[in-house]
Amino acid sequence: MAQTRLGRAENRAGWAFVMPALVLVGIFMIYPILWSLWMSLQTGRGMTTSFGGLANIQRLFADPIFLTALSNTMIFLAIQVPIMIMLALVFAVMLNDPKTKFRGLFRTAIFLPAVTSLVAYSILFKSIFSNDGLATTIVTFFGGPEISWLGEPFWAKVVIILAITWRWTGYNMIFYLAALQNIDRSIYEAARIDGVPARAQFFRITIPMLKPVILFTTIISTIGTLQLFDEVQNITQGGPSNATLTLSQYIFNLTFRFMPSYGYAATVSYVIVVLVAVLSVIQFWIARDRK
Amino acid sequence: MSAGVRLEGLRKSYGAVEVIRGVDLDIEPQEFVVFVGPSGCGKSTLLRMIAGLEEITGGDLYIGERRMNDTDASRRGIAMVFQSYALYPHMTVRENMGFALKYAGVKKPEIKAQVDEAARILGLDQLMDRRPKDLSGGQRQRVAIGRAIVRHPEVFLFDEPLSNLDAELRVQMRIEIARLHSELKSTIVYVTHDQVEAMTLADKIVVLRDGRIEQVGTPLDLYDDPDNLFVAGFIGSPKMNFLPAELSGGALTLVEHGGQTVPLPPLGRAPQEGERVTLGIRPEHFRKEGSAALEVDVEIVENLGGETYVYARQAGSDVLTIATGGARGLRQGDRMTARFDPSDALLFNREGLRIR
Repeated sequence: MAQTRLGRAENRAGWAFVMPALVLVGIFMIYPILWSLWMSLQTGRGMTTSFGGLANIQRLFADPIFLTALSNTMIFLAIQVPIMIMLALVFAVMLNDPKTKFRGLFRTAIFLPAVTSLVAYSILFKSIFSNDGLATTIVTFFGGPEISWLGEPFWAKVVIILAITWRWTGYNMIFYLAALQNIDRSIYEAARIDGVPARAQFFRITIPMLKPVILFTTIISTIGTLQLFDEVQNITQGGPSNATLTLSQYIFNLTFRFMPSYGYAATVSYVIVVLVAVLSVIQFWIARDRK
Repeated sequence: MSAGVRLEGLRKSYGAVEVIRGVDLDIEPQEFVVFVGPSGCGKSTLLRMIAGLEEITGGDLYIGERRMNDTDASRRGIAMVFQSYALYPHMTVRENMGFALKYAGVKKPEIKAQVDEAARILGLDQLMDRRPKDLSGGQRQRVAIGRAIVRHPEVFLFDEPLSNLDAELRVQMRIEIARLHSELKSTIVYVTHDQVEAMTLADKIVVLRDGRIEQVGTPLDLYDDPDNLFVAGFIGSPKMNFLPAELSGGALTLVEHGGQTVPLPPLGRAPQEGERVTLGIRPEHFRKEGSAALEVDVEIVENLGGETYVYARQAGSDVLTIATGGARGLRQGDRMTARFDPSDALLFNREGLRIR
């Protein structure tokens, strides 16, 4: 198509405006992504690498630590995300009810963990669940057994799940609250007059109307949990005996703690990418409009 | 199938603020009652108290013969249509209309029959599988009405149902609601701020102001025989003209019209000499003939074709609205004589109450 002079000038101006952003995105996002893809095809340690083709992928399936990290991550995901989403929904519905007292206070209290310093709260959790910590005191007070929270694989996982749920429930709740506040109140008044029970109002009206937000938060939480690193690193360091080791932590270990294996670490990173992509597609498919 | 509604000394306050200040009202079975008043007068609150969406602070509410103050909204035998339609956006028209019946223990085939019947009455047959977002405003409101019909309520409550529609649709839906009422023969309580809706739909209009009833009556009662200045000014469009006047020598001296005098309307009890009163004349009561005449200068002429509204005044007076059937030739700046028959005019005392 023949370009007019005005069209060309507009094009130049347009490119001039987007160029700075494009350059930055290129250097800091696209280049690393492509480079890590190239790296994932390299084998070897430290700086002495050579092209290995799909050798790293073969190594994945034979690597027991990777398989442990993968299964730990999937356990966190499968248990923590649904619990957190349900909790966030319940809190949001309760705090959206005009009859609830001290709504502002509860809303702040539940959201606060999301903006708390990560290290501070990790230390707090570590101390609560240490062998002579608050959790042990409470459990033994009620006649429960003395549990080595961070020493047993099962309980260490429970502590991590508690920690991330505590931290991120309020964050998700805010999305639901915002969505709930956009729902016309007369819809619930109509349901009330029509004699629709509260349970049915929640499951047949609230949940379907929040579906897009639920999908969004589920995907965001899935991505977050697949990348889980900070809590584990600060509370359990992946222990005991790799029982809480996550994929991200394993990538960190491969790169910075062991003799660096950049190529293999990049391959494990791409496992997370593929998992995020596959799970997101599945979630979109489940939440699709069926009509 | 339809019940009456009785309000006895109904009150509602939010903290120290009283918004409904003792309302007594009898609504007969099958009656179409319209609550009308300016915004903030409490008409919607009153309706929501009948619906059970607002708690009743004082007084008694009866639907049929049962006292309903503490009865849950779902057990009052009412159905409500909201201004915002309040449809469930994720459900089809059919699901929207049948949703409540499921929880009332109605069997599936029965639900289908009732929903189909309501759809037939409202002409929604072709839209049953659409979602609310695929419907026009008028269609949505019809679905909302359908959702009310399928429950076979004893009383229908409408909360400004036509306010979100454009002018043309509003007229159409108004006629449809009137038709529906004659077909269903149910009691309807209808809230609006639009006095045209009130006049055209109601068997009985309740004019509210500041949480109190100003007057109750048939549309023409309120139009012809208002109790006070507020009702006189609220009912009728364009508004009634109010002229300040003083009684002197058995006639009315119009204070703002250069002391011009007009004869006193026929009254049972004439006001005292020198008393300040307000003379009310409806725009359509100005005619070519009449024993009273006002000389005025034309300011604006609105030609509606069939009807012409002239806005005119005398130096120093308020603008008068004059409806003239045929006078098409009038222009701005013309001088005209607005005549009326004193027996058409209404008189109000200083407190705004009617002098009869």
